[in-house]
Amino acid sequence: MRRLLVLFALVAAAAGCDSPEGPPVVADNVVVTAPGAGMPMAAGYLEITNQSGSDIRITRVSSPDYATVEMHETIVEDGIARMRSIPVLEIADGETITFERGGRHLMLMQPAGTPGTITLNFYSDDVLLLTVSAEFTATMD
Amino acid sequence: MQTRNVIAGLVLGTAVAAGLALALRNAGEPAAPVAATILPAGNELPEFTLLDQDGAPADRSVFEGRWDVVFFGFTNCPDICPATMTLLGQAKRELEARGSDPLPRVVLVSVDPERDTPEAMARYVAYFGDGNLGLTGELEELRKLTDALGIFFQKAETGDGAYAVDHSTAVLVIDPQARLKALFTAPHEVANFVHDLPLIMAGE
Repeated sequence: MRRLLVLFALVAAAAGCDSPEGPPVVADNVVVTAPGAGMPMAAGYLEITNQSGSDIRITRVSSPDYATVEMHETIVEDGIARMRSIPVLEIADGETITFERGGRHLMLMQPAGTPGTITLNFYSDDVLLLTVSAEFTATMD
Repeated sequence: MQTRNVIAGLVLGTAVAAGLALALRNAGEPAAPVAATILPAGNELPEFTLLDQDGAPADRSVFEGRWDVVFFGFTNCPDICPATMTLLGQAKRELEARGSDPLPRVVLVSVDPERDTPEAMARYVAYFGDGNLGLTGELEELRKLTDALGIFFQKAETGDGAYAVDHSTAVLVIDPQARLKALFTAPHEVANFVHDLPLIMAGE
């Protein structure tokens, strides 16, 4: 899997005050994969660390590059993969949540075009918590 | 000094003898799969009629005459299906680089025939490598194949009218007589495919 460069990760001070050590919510190791031209969806993977000083809740994710972005989780039990929506993602203060292959992932549906950069906005209700931009990967490798 | 040389010689001689014995013992043992479960007799595939990615009818005979590694998934699956297809493609390329002969074909059978048209399957399977086969078609025909192979799949609502498909994660190995010969259970690893597939195909 090709790791993508996180171009920037900006945070609105929603869950707490800006920390002198850095932004309150940080994204790392952002990967966006797509199964090929013409396919209806892509998958996003990343790590989100909450260092805001209080617990946060991510209630929705959006992107100007895709009509819909949903948080999903693949659960494999007894040899059967089941994909389920994550309506709310709670991240305790100091905790890092990982979206990874075969587990939590972002499902990006209905691309608006073929952008070179994907922007992802993470919200707690109407408050923007985190904006991440990453280069769009062309391959799964 | 002489005594030390004798001891050193004895130690060296013992080590060489032990190494030879181990090598001879290992040479007598057939290599065993590290991940796959092999069905020695093979289970014959049932009769069915699906469509390949060109829209042409594909029945049981599509599996005859070559080895296939088969995964059941769907093109709207963003996570585990492309991940598994990627692993299978990587394994095939590594086998090819090692000069392995024969090479298995990678096959994706759609468990979402409602959305997976032959055109969608063509784009999807081509993305993961040359020579891949995609099968889709009528649900009733698909059930004939999945029921016989013990493959589970079921639609699952994900909200707002959208749906995913829960499905088995096993990778099946079909022999040139269209028989289920072995299966790999998840989690899948390229190294396991690369190690076990030549053994499975050599055991025909």
